[in-house]
Amino acid sequence: MKINEDLKIFDDKLINKFNNLSNHNIDYWDIRAGYSTGNSIEFTDNKSKEISSYEVIKCGIRTFTQGGWGFVVVEDLSRESLINNFKKAIKLAQLSGSLNKFKFNIKESDILIKNFEIKNKIPLENIDITEKINLVRDHEKIAKEFSPNIKNTLTLYFDGIGNDIFLNSFGSNIIQKLSLLRIFSSVYAKKNGIIQRGVNSVGGIGGFEIAKTKKAKEISLLSAKEAVDLLDAQSPIGGTFPIIMDPKLTGTFIHEAFGHACEADLVLNKESILEGKIGEKLAHENVTIMDDPRFGRGEALDLPYELYGSYFIDDEGIPAQKTIIIENGIFKNYLHNRETASRMNFKPNGHGRASSNINNPQVRMGITILEPNDWTLEEMIEDTKDGILCEDFQYGYTDPTTGNFQFKARLSYRIENGEKKELMRDVSLSGMTLDVLNNIDAIGNEIDFSDGMCGKGGQSVRVCDGGPHIRVKKITVGGLR
Amino acid sequence: MLQDHDIYSISNKILNSLNQNNEIKCSEVFFDKTSYINIEIEENSIKYSKLASERGLSIRIIDKRGSLGFSFTNKLENKPIESIVKTAISMMNCGTPDPDFKNLPLLCNSYPEVKGIYDEKIKDLDIEDSSKYIDNLIRICDEDEKAISQSAKFKSSYNETYIFNSNGIELYGKDTICSISSNMIVKDKISKQTSFGFDWQSVRNIRDLDSERIASNALEKAKQHLNRKNIKNMKAPIILTPTGTINLIISPIISAINAENFQYKRSFLIGKRGEKIGTDILNIEDNALINGATGSSCFDDEGVPCKNKKIIEKGIFLKQGLLHNSYTAAKEGIDPTGNSIRTSYSSLPSIDCTNFILKSGNENKEDIISDINLGILFEYSGDSANLSTGDFSGLILQGNLIENGEIKHSLNNTMFGINLLDLFQNISQISKEYQIYGPYSAPYVCVDNVQIIGNKN
Repeated sequence: MKINEDLKIFDDKLINKFNNLSNHNIDYWDIRAGYSTGNSIEFTDNKSKEISSYEVIKCGIRTFTQGGWGFVVVEDLSRESLINNFKKAIKLAQLSGSLNKFKFNIKESDILIKNFEIKNKIPLENIDITEKINLVRDHEKIAKEFSPNIKNTLTLYFDGIGNDIFLNSFGSNIIQKLSLLRIFSSVYAKKNGIIQRGVNSVGGIGGFEIAKTKKAKEISLLSAKEAVDLLDAQSPIGGTFPIIMDPKLTGTFIHEAFGHACEADLVLNKESILEGKIGEKLAHENVTIMDDPRFGRGEALDLPYELYGSYFIDDEGIPAQKTIIIENGIFKNYLHNRETASRMNFKPNGHGRASSNINNPQVRMGITILEPNDWTLEEMIEDTKDGILCEDFQYGYTDPTTGNFQFKARLSYRIENGEKKELMRDVSLSGMTLDVLNNIDAIGNEIDFSDGMCGKGGQSVRVCDGGPHIRVKKITVGGLR
Repeated sequence: MLQDHDIYSISNKILNSLNQNNEIKCSEVFFDKTSYINIEIEENSIKYSKLASERGLSIRIIDKRGSLGFSFTNKLENKPIESIVKTAISMMNCGTPDPDFKNLPLLCNSYPEVKGIYDEKIKDLDIEDSSKYIDNLIRICDEDEKAISQSAKFKSSYNETYIFNSNGIELYGKDTICSISSNMIVKDKISKQTSFGFDWQSVRNIRDLDSERIASNALEKAKQHLNRKNIKNMKAPIILTPTGTINLIISPIISAINAENFQYKRSFLIGKRGEKIGTDILNIEDNALINGATGSSCFDDEGVPCKNKKIIEKGIFLKQGLLHNSYTAAKEGIDPTGNSIRTSYSSLPSIDCTNFILKSGNENKEDIISDINLGILFEYSGDSANLSTGDFSGLILQGNLIENGEIKHSLNNTMFGINLLDLFQNISQISKEYQIYGPYSAPYVCVDNVQIIGNKN
């Protein structure tokens, strides 16, 4: 694997220097540095709004002692500047450590010396900017021509290639080269004073092949169709109903309402409803939830690329791995970074992630999954007397200390006597997270994933979540009707 | 270290080389430097100290057809700079024509003066000095019986901006900003219920930072949201706290009067310009020229002079009440309003408010509350209004029942829904008291006749 010129500065001599500086002064350090390039393209109403290109280098030095962390962002990657900044970082860790009340040590983990690279089917380097622009243009055209009711279209494309190095005081030395691509389509339609929106996206780790998949090619058509369909949709009636969630909404629910509460940093900070709950029965016995960001899931789903939330190692040099969160209804594990694992006496499970090399890793999800079971969607609908099928989500939020959540579904269908009926819009679901987990009474047999960016503490990281259709016995529905 | 004169010479070199290209109509080099300190508290204990400096430049060029090319880098050596100049041109060549793109801003004869947006003490702050502000936060949590944890952040930053364009603009600005936030977690020992409260402050001058007040406010809010109970459905008045006012009135209006949202027909205020959309007591302005305020600036991120703009006056949404950058203004054939904002060198200019002020009223907040027989005090929902329709329907994450003029228990699983155009018409009282949160200035606002959906059988 070819190593980027800028990253060659991190040779054995420099690493030895860091080790000598840190000796007896701090307990742990790691360095992340990376060089990245990429393009963004934004079109709206068939016109280009942004066509841009970048080339940036980012480096962060992190140090630890006595329960406190130091972090320095380095802009000049010369030997002299790196050494000076390393010394600054040592002082910062000592200051944080001297003021910190919780003394602990970072537990040593396996040393990893490895180069990772994904072999893309169509490397981004080989694609001319005009081809990317034509792709965006085509999406705009498809959306715009779908119906005279389409009033505004927006298509975003972005890709990037990253060359990154990870070093730490245990001796890990990891180099990785990854590329990613994402396309996003938003369409507004208007009729009789009513405005509705359709939104879809496809993203993955890989090359230009991502943009050529059937799923990617259809996003603009799908957004346009959804926006137009929603124009004639009904407002929901408030009340309590059995709810069937589609894979997108199931994924969002387990990520937003439940997954964040599994993050061990929030547990330690007493911002989680799951404190002290390991070993307890939290969900119906058919429910199994895990987080598994390892590569390989793309192939299993017959995709030519890897899922958007996948990674080789997290941003603390721990390999991505499968973590069972709930197994047959029993709560098994929190998600950890090096710090929470060290403090709570678990093994780190690869969830220390940062939005870039100049941000500190937090505990974050990767690919969160609710395992499928044996119901078909048809059976679920037939078995429902008076309920709602909710598809996709507009947004959602959760009070971390109580588990009180609200989600707004994008498309919802009334179910009456086992039959799917009229379309409704803006159905908002609210309730308590643990009640919902206990009230899941049917789990579908087909899984699907959606991708997105998840924000926490001012940082956003790429994630996926997924699952099958599930039915929840009762959820409160709010509506304007 | 990169010196001032290096930035001028790099930028002039770029503009000169772009000037040779006959296709290019106008060009711009935007450069920013920021250095900051970040301290993070978790579990009411110092966890992270961070020092950073970042800088970079971007190139924005527009050709005679109105097509735009944009590129940026933080590698400030000759080779990468030459390479992004080239890519900016190739980006520009592939774009679509846009006759609405008239020009980049022109050099003005004079720019307004705004005082107090730069504080030498923040620029020179070191991490040891910063930790004393943190001590207050930690102490407030430690000393309270019910407080069990706190996460908090301190950030101070010093920013420098350079804007150069082919119309002769050559501007330099510097400012400082310091922010503190506290998220306090409390637990009731008897009921075992937990709750959180959040408060924050952002200032230009370190002497205005009051970490003790922020932690105390967060603590008070957290306690106020213990003892949650379900309530019955009702139609009742809602009093928005300053945070609630930002959530429900200020933020949606800022999005709705963003000229870009307007021009793309995404705003629920389309067709309402010049019309009365609220009661007489609703007055809003966007004023960039307040000395010492965090949203203040002499010029915006394209180099347009900033000013004070009235948005809503006595309930009337003024015809000129939109926020513009140079592009959206040219499209309407008016002067830009100085509302162009970039998050850093790596972003194109977008539109945002400067200091956004909902004018305070004549009533005491206590009197407003004591007038209410049955109603809701609303602090926060994770929800926001639908920009294109103005519909709001959300779960009250933090709010209390008001009964017989007194603030009672907090609310469990309670939602409410209203269209913002109805909300503006139902504003019955606005308090004298107001709070400043960063660029927002918000009083307590009483809204009559809101449909509240409780869950009590």
